[in-house]
Amino acid sequence: MKLKVNRKTIEIFEGALVRHALLRYFAVKGLDVRQVDTLTVTDRWGHEIDLDAPASQHSTITFRVKSEK
Amino acid sequence: MRKLLFVLLMVPFAFASWAQNKKEVHILSANDMHAAIECFPRLCFVADSLRTLYPDLLILSAGDNRSGDPINDMYEIPAYPMVSLMNIVGFHATTLGNHEFDSGQEGLAKLINMSDFSYLCANAHPAESTGIHIRPYQKFDVGGVSVGIIGAVALGPIGKPESHPKNMTDITFTQPLEALQQYQFLRKECDVVLFLSHIGYEDDVKISASLPWVDLIVGGHSHTQLNGGEIHNGLLITQNVNRLARVTHITLTVENGKVVDKRAENIAIKGVKRENKVVGKLADYFTNNPAFDEVLAVNDKPVSTYEELGCLMTDAYLQAANADISLQNYGGVRYDTLSVRGINVKDVLQLDPFQNNLVEMTVTGNEFIDILKMCFVNDQARFPLISGATAEYVLDDTKQQVKKVVLYGPDGKKLNLKKTYRVVTNNYVQAITPTNRKDEGHDLGIGSAEAIMQFLKAKGHIDYQGKTCVKEVRK
Repeated sequence: MKLKVNRKTIEIFEGALVRHALLRYFAVKGLDVRQVDTLTVTDRWGHEIDLDAPASQHSTITFRVKSEK
Repeated sequence: MRKLLFVLLMVPFAFASWAQNKKEVHILSANDMHAAIECFPRLCFVADSLRTLYPDLLILSAGDNRSGDPINDMYEIPAYPMVSLMNIVGFHATTLGNHEFDSGQEGLAKLINMSDFSYLCANAHPAESTGIHIRPYQKFDVGGVSVGIIGAVALGPIGKPESHPKNMTDITFTQPLEALQQYQFLRKECDVVLFLSHIGYEDDVKISASLPWVDLIVGGHSHTQLNGGEIHNGLLITQNVNRLARVTHITLTVENGKVVDKRAENIAIKGVKRENKVVGKLADYFTNNPAFDEVLAVNDKPVSTYEELGCLMTDAYLQAANADISLQNYGGVRYDTLSVRGINVKDVLQLDPFQNNLVEMTVTGNEFIDILKMCFVNDQARFPLISGATAEYVLDDTKQQVKKVVLYGPDGKKLNLKKTYRVVTNNYVQAITPTNRKDEGHDLGIGSAEAIMQFLKAKGHIDYQGKTCVKEVRK
């Protein structure tokens, strides 16, 4: 299935979680995949979603690094 | 004067009568709890506290109560701990989430029979032979207010919820909206109509336009954190992220049989400082389950390398998926030694702690080699482990780049790289290897740790000393 992560279209397997979509994005961009667990993720309406949420075809998710307290 | 006095005397009675027509319904809702056993003592404290104020509190779950912690999911009766804890907290109803099907029809039937709460799902139609007792809807009397609750679960691309198809062979499903529309009569029979939804926030919003006869959607599946709730097409929609980070307290004001006000606020469970001690003891009991010491197989010879243990993992995946080749990345093998002793459930969860699922892809030999090369780079120049084939790597002088890979089948002959093969790996490896393959694969709904446990149990005795699947050729 295809979805957008930070405006980039990525393709991932059926049944993937948001976590896997982010891992794929990071792998494509050559970034350190270990950072994925530090991210805050939102859907296209700005609602927070967790990393274990199911990824959906044609959805749009945005991430940013969690701010440290 | 008398008339004025009469009117003044009647005012309090009129007010009392008007106030009696106004009632409040209080609901505590959770969604996608995914076996967050550790949060139940605090959840129970919250529920008890609210019940003190609102004795008719209705407690609901929007599905996916299980699947997220081996302590729950691998209990002797899979997922029983959550049912037991939900019974004590006093849940009234749940809908079916896609993960409710994870222990198969028999497992679900058993859990439903052990639950004190109802399972509501209008778009799932189990055959009578399954013994699965669900209802499409149920009416609850909440302090004199009639609340009708209907449930529904999201369907995946194959028209069934996202769980392994073998878990639902005798259950048919209809599209949620099509199923829900059959229950419009609830509008006339109930003061409040509530849709307990496991279809996801986006679909909750879409469907709300077609449900003007519904007052409230208690949502789940997409793990969307709403701030209290949102009004769409006149309906209040609520949902939280998973694992009981938050729950929602919903207040509906009902006057003369109609909902005149709807409010929702989040309660952060993780921030609750007090807990129900009895539930705490029960959660501890489940967490310290001696079944995790169950010996699955005996290791006959000591192993001392990641490769040897990785080969055990890939053999297990190969068997679980009945695939041609299996693959495990080096970094996913979490320890490298195993002495001569029994291997128990805890050992497997330590070897494979990530709760990954197996994914199957159909790829050519060349596409598979691209995946191997990418795994090698991702794991800082360490070879991935495979079963069903062996791989011969030619590295460059720096030993950081793979120049060539040759694959050999179990018969020792070179594999045809243009032919396609069914390859199984875990979903982490699938995600971090963005090669140009045609097939991205699909989740098999089988946990990789679960596959290893079943493999060991079937074997009884194992010997992986000296096992190898990798050859490095220096040129």
